[in-house]
Amino acid sequence: MIWNSKIECMSREEMRVLQGEKLKKIVAHAYQNSPFYKARFDEHGVKPEDIQTIDDIVKLPFTTKQDLRDNYPFNMLAVPMSEIVRLHASSGTTGKPIVVGYTEKDLDNWTEGVARCLTAYGLDKSDMVQVSYGYGLFTGGLGAHAGVQKIGAVALPTSSGNTEKQLQLMQDFGSTAIACTPSYALYMTEEIRKRNIDMNNIKLKVGVFGAEPWTNNMRKELEEKLNIKAYDIYGLTEISGPGVGGECECQNGTHLWEDLFYPEIVDPVTLQPVAPGEKGELVFTTLDKWGMPMIRYRTRDLTSLNYEKCACGRTAVRMSKIMGRSDDMMIIRGVNVFPSQVESILLEFPEYEPYFFIEVDRVNNTDTFVIQVEVKPEYYTDQINQLIKLRQRLASRIQSVIGIQPDIKIVEPNTIERSTGKAKRAIDHRKFE
Amino acid sequence: MLIRQLSVFLENRQGKFAEIARLLGNNNINMKAFTVSESDDFGIARIIVEREKIDTAYNLLKSHSYAVSIHQVNYLNSPNKPGTMAIAMEELSKAGVSIEYMYAFADDDSHNSHLVIRTNNDELANRILSEL
Repeated sequence: MIWNSKIECMSREEMRVLQGEKLKKIVAHAYQNSPFYKARFDEHGVKPEDIQTIDDIVKLPFTTKQDLRDNYPFNMLAVPMSEIVRLHASSGTTGKPIVVGYTEKDLDNWTEGVARCLTAYGLDKSDMVQVSYGYGLFTGGLGAHAGVQKIGAVALPTSSGNTEKQLQLMQDFGSTAIACTPSYALYMTEEIRKRNIDMNNIKLKVGVFGAEPWTNNMRKELEEKLNIKAYDIYGLTEISGPGVGGECECQNGTHLWEDLFYPEIVDPVTLQPVAPGEKGELVFTTLDKWGMPMIRYRTRDLTSLNYEKCACGRTAVRMSKIMGRSDDMMIIRGVNVFPSQVESILLEFPEYEPYFFIEVDRVNNTDTFVIQVEVKPEYYTDQINQLIKLRQRLASRIQSVIGIQPDIKIVEPNTIERSTGKAKRAIDHRKFE
Repeated sequence: MLIRQLSVFLENRQGKFAEIARLLGNNNINMKAFTVSESDDFGIARIIVEREKIDTAYNLLKSHSYAVSIHQVNYLNSPNKPGTMAIAMEELSKAGVSIEYMYAFADDDSHNSHLVIRTNNDELANRILSEL
């Protein structure tokens, strides 16, 4: 099934014309209404008139996550606050998350993207989707929720956590799809096994999985254990949220809704576009987002794009699985984590040395997040409780700033590598193929 | 009386205590008593050495990058027979002193028992124990 076949199956030529028209409008809007973009374009010597077709996009300067932080909270908005109807935020460095404001139309477009994804997964008004993404500032819950209602299905807003209740409702209500991170879904499979839940009581047929990278092996495992088809949903807060793209029944690449979110692949070093089909950094321009347009936003996700028509009939470009990052961000249990966040939190504690080492792995389908730290010599004590309390204070602080609980490991003095240059501060043992 | 005790932070890894024992042994420092308490991934070794060697031991461990500190703890030497420890504990408890940790060791001939006691008020504990 195709939600919007006119757009999703449009010829490439028509799509480029449409993208060009939309780009012209959004660039003019950004220039006229956002002091940030006006300054950035002027500095770069580019005027809205220079943008006539989609090919002119390369004339525009890039936008980065740092720009969002520097303009916290509202300096990047391109409409008055009276036009904004929703704010979302994602965790950022200490005390400074990034904030995105949406107009009514922006929410409609975002929801349109989610509706296209859900329809591509084979869902319709006869379905009930258990939305186990977190509801709140995180875009996952509310984003998926709106899309579910849009296609006329039943939204079951369980939000994340409380697995026992999740599984109970799943059986009692007969949810036919679940939307959550793939690692949480794997965790659920463990719980189902532990509780000896009869799989006949579970009616799931589709998994809507995103917010973190996952592998084809995970897909296989989820499909076998839950007896479902597991599909990728892609998105990021800066661009809207989940539903920037999604897989179709072919499970051969994530279709991006490029009439709304125009993708480019650039070399992360030279920032020049790469040859078609080559791997590089994914860059998005929001073509129909008015509250806070993103012009050539560098996602830091490494991937490649395939413009061949898909066997499902869609012409919408397909993105390969995310192959890594061009920065040091890690996604742990669905949460974005930068080593610099850990560093700035550590600096708040006089008891700790400013050195740390992060180790990430996946054990029993759950991401582990271990931070090695050293205590300053004068704070070592003969009392183990004091060290345990000190460790707990750091863990709680990290949990409240970043959003996930780390396992703090105090190590002996001088065991963490000191380096004046680029110290390797993290290692990720998870395998994403 | 109050005596000085070494405390060494140790990661919970095989051979950690052997390293310390070897280091002290090679430098002719005898451990009179020790105890190790541990959490899931680290432990603290508390060590009593001969009084005149404690600073040497401290500097030695420090120079080998160990997280070592010196703390005052109570030391009680009493006859090794039933009931003596009960009396000491009762007196501390009456005075509102609570025990953070303690460990005991005996003489070669077992006539006397030696108790190391760390409390929430070591000065007060010292006064009480001296009057026993």
